Amino acid sequence: MRRISREPSVVITLAILVGLMFAFIIYPQVQVVLVPGLGGYVSFLAEQTWVKPFFNSLQVMLLSTTTAVVLGFIYAYAMVYSKMPFKPFFRIIGVLPLLSPPFVVAASYILLFGPRGMISYYVFGQSPNILGLGGLWGVQTIAFFPFAYQLIADVLARSDARMEQAARNLGAGPWNVFRTITLPMARPGLLAAILTTAIYIVEDFGNPALIAGQFTVLPTQAYGLISGFGDVTGAAVVSTILLLLALALYVAKTRIEGQRSYVTISGRAGTIPRPPVPTVVNVFCFVACSLLAILILMVYGVLLVSAVVEVFPVKWGLTSKHFEFLTSNITPLQNTLVYGTIAAIICAMFAMLLGFLVQRREWRGKRIVDFIAIMPAAIPGIFFGIGYATAFNQRWLDWIDRGALITISMIFWNIPVGYQAAIAGLQQIDRSLDDAATSLGAGSLRAFRDILLPMLDGALLTGFVTAFVRAVTTLSVVIFLFTPSTTVATIKIFQLVNDFMWGGATAFTVSVVGVAVLVLVIVWTISGRRVGLQRTG
Amino acid sequence: MMTLNNVQLQTSPLRLETVTKRFGAVVAVERVSLEIPRGAFTTLLGPSGCGKTTLLRIIAGFYEPDEGHIFLDDKQIDDVPTHLRGTAMVFQDYALWPHMTVYDNIAYGLRMNKTPQNELDARVHATMQLVEMPADFLKRRPTELSGGQQQRVALARALIVRPRVLLLDEPLSNLDAKVRQRLRLEIRSLQRRIGITTIYVTHDQEEALSMSDVVVVMNQGAVVQVGKPEEIYRQPGTAFVAEFMGVSNVLRGKVTQDGKMVDAGGICIAYTGAPGSAVTVVFKADEAEPIGDGARADDAVVFEGDVIEAFFFGAMYRHFVNVNGNTILVDRPTRIEAKRVRLAVARDKVQVFVEE
Repeated sequence: MRRISREPSVVITLAILVGLMFAFIIYPQVQVVLVPGLGGYVSFLAEQTWVKPFFNSLQVMLLSTTTAVVLGFIYAYAMVYSKMPFKPFFRIIGVLPLLSPPFVVAASYILLFGPRGMISYYVFGQSPNILGLGGLWGVQTIAFFPFAYQLIADVLARSDARMEQAARNLGAGPWNVFRTITLPMARPGLLAAILTTAIYIVEDFGNPALIAGQFTVLPTQAYGLISGFGDVTGAAVVSTILLLLALALYVAKTRIEGQRSYVTISGRAGTIPRPPVPTVVNVFCFVACSLLAILILMVYGVLLVSAVVEVFPVKWGLTSKHFEFLTSNITPLQNTLVYGTIAAIICAMFAMLLGFLVQRREWRGKRIVDFIAIMPAAIPGIFFGIGYATAFNQRWLDWIDRGALITISMIFWNIPVGYQAAIAGLQQIDRSLDDAATSLGAGSLRAFRDILLPMLDGALLTGFVTAFVRAVTTLSVVIFLFTPSTTVATIKIFQLVNDFMWGGATAFTVSVVGVAVLVLVIVWTISGRRVGLQRTG
Repeated sequence: MMTLNNVQLQTSPLRLETVTKRFGAVVAVERVSLEIPRGAFTTLLGPSGCGKTTLLRIIAGFYEPDEGHIFLDDKQIDDVPTHLRGTAMVFQDYALWPHMTVYDNIAYGLRMNKTPQNELDARVHATMQLVEMPADFLKRRPTELSGGQQQRVALARALIVRPRVLLLDEPLSNLDAKVRQRLRLEIRSLQRRIGITTIYVTHDQEEALSMSDVVVVMNQGAVVQVGKPEEIYRQPGTAFVAEFMGVSNVLRGKVTQDGKMVDAGGICIAYTGAPGSAVTVVFKADEAEPIGDGARADDAVVFEGDVIEAFFFGAMYRHFVNVNGNTILVDRPTRIEAKRVRLAVARDKVQVFVEE
């Protein structure tokens, strides 16, 4: 490993990157933590208004994580191990929820099962109160099991088929192979996946905001304190509690991942096929995945239908009026596209350069910078948003364009995904390839540009696509930052749902998902490769 | 003035002074001082993990030494970053850039020092000729070449910048035996023709002996012996070198109480030393000869054993002989048919090293 002190250009570059990270990651977070002051903490904590939401958060996290992980595991096992038909179809269905704001599930749930829901009212004639824990549990399960599936499928796919074949070869039946080889080998990865899912769920703001009603959780309490009472101090304390909860989960996850993992990353696993699973398991996998796929298709189908009929589910006449409403209010969608694209490009490049300096060079403080780059993955969006609001909603910063601030928040909120894609990509490239360039007279940054950047195009695209999708689907990060002219689509949807303007809301939702899919397809077409999304956390 | 294979070793372009490199608690290179002769082919030889590659990377500037200094043409280069050192390197896995053509790979170094296009073009073609590659390969991608061809391109890519020192890191270890033999010859004759100062890292003692002007044997981060191949082979300085340089028998032994003999597992060797001190006895497998039962052998070490097994190696048979529980290797051109054999090794072929 080379130290960088001999190359001034590298030192300057690094100083700029680190300076920006301090300004836009560390500074806002510190602001939130410091804003209440010691007195603020003491008096707010003494009021104990946070206790109920805290336990509500824990409760819904435990319930939803359990169910989401069970469903996610079944889906992942079926995709990796079974011989069920239509796997490509199931794969696309599994990706779809990653391309949309998680809160669309809540919206769709209300349309189906709400007081005037298609199924609840018009099929069963019931007008149930779905707000509260039950509804939230169901919604979070459906919203986040695809994330659990992605994480678990990654773990299972990396397990070495040779290990399983060796066990079969020595006389173990399918069930024993699963019990004694597959599961134990995947255990660290599975635990990490469970904790990551839990973090997603506990940090989620959109679904509880739409469907939890009086069942307040920490993110909705923080939002309510600011939007309802202008109580920034209280919101800061609440979101700090949420941050601590998320950080505890995150630290536990990193501990587990740091343990000796039995899963090979050599990529050789694919050279031998996995042992076949019994027919009954194949059938079960197919049935289970079909049911889950139907559920997901229903979620999106309802949104799509609602966007093209008069009033769902009352007046079924086809209409384009919701999309006309959208085109006459196009600004939020334009903003989403512009901010998301700019943020994703800068984020991917920034993270790539940073990844290079961390992974390939030796310098003091490297570990701290590495930690800072990963940190936003553990920070709840609502906390990040409040951080930006308190740090940059200042009179002396009024000259900063709000759109630019939203873009900046999207850039740094997504640094971890680009950074992890960069590190993973760099680990695949032997050091001798860039060493060869420097030994022939290229400076560090030149070698990065000439050799690594062209070879890392896959990682760069992964970083870009993931950052883009996350930027256009986030609600909590930007909810305190927008102004009327800089509203983005997710906020518009949120407002429309709160005003019961379902047609417009669903038209916007369909458009956002459409934009995300479109960008993914464009990237695939241009690059000629199927870059996936970077798993976060 | 010393002459080795007609190469003048008057000045040293590269000098290392007490270079030390640690990775955490592991000392990878320990106080290495070396002078690399100008225009010569110097090999760093040692088992894996001995620090030879680390040392090469320190010279290239990929690692910075924790202690010590490096001088190139009498200028200290500790602070010179890699890309300004002029120490082009050929890597074990070639490290050709897959996203560039062969032409762009080779031309890279010249582009870095802003060579004009027409000169660059001429030099690329000349270098291709030098490494005996036809010019129509220039448009190909590295992945379309065989291992041997890739290594020629890697060599061309390094040579074209006319480095002050050419560094080669086990360049042949990924190639099959036949290609390896041919490339050894080609690299050596190319090096002689252009007279470039070369440092070559290998763990293959045969490769080191056959190609080098100077061999530097390393073990556990330290330089153990430096010399011409013949010296290293014939007069190893330590038990480690003796053992590493060829198929040798290595026995632990002790000086007897009268201080005039060594007893190594029942094999007695005339030796004068401090009574009771531990020694290592080394002799090569092809130095042991069977002798008749009654025959006397002057100035020789004689012992008896049972032939357990004989492997046919083409040019010779390797016998495994049990001598008082130690397995002794005996290489002979013909097979020893007897079950029990009496063997003699000339005393001056048996080396005794006092253990430290």
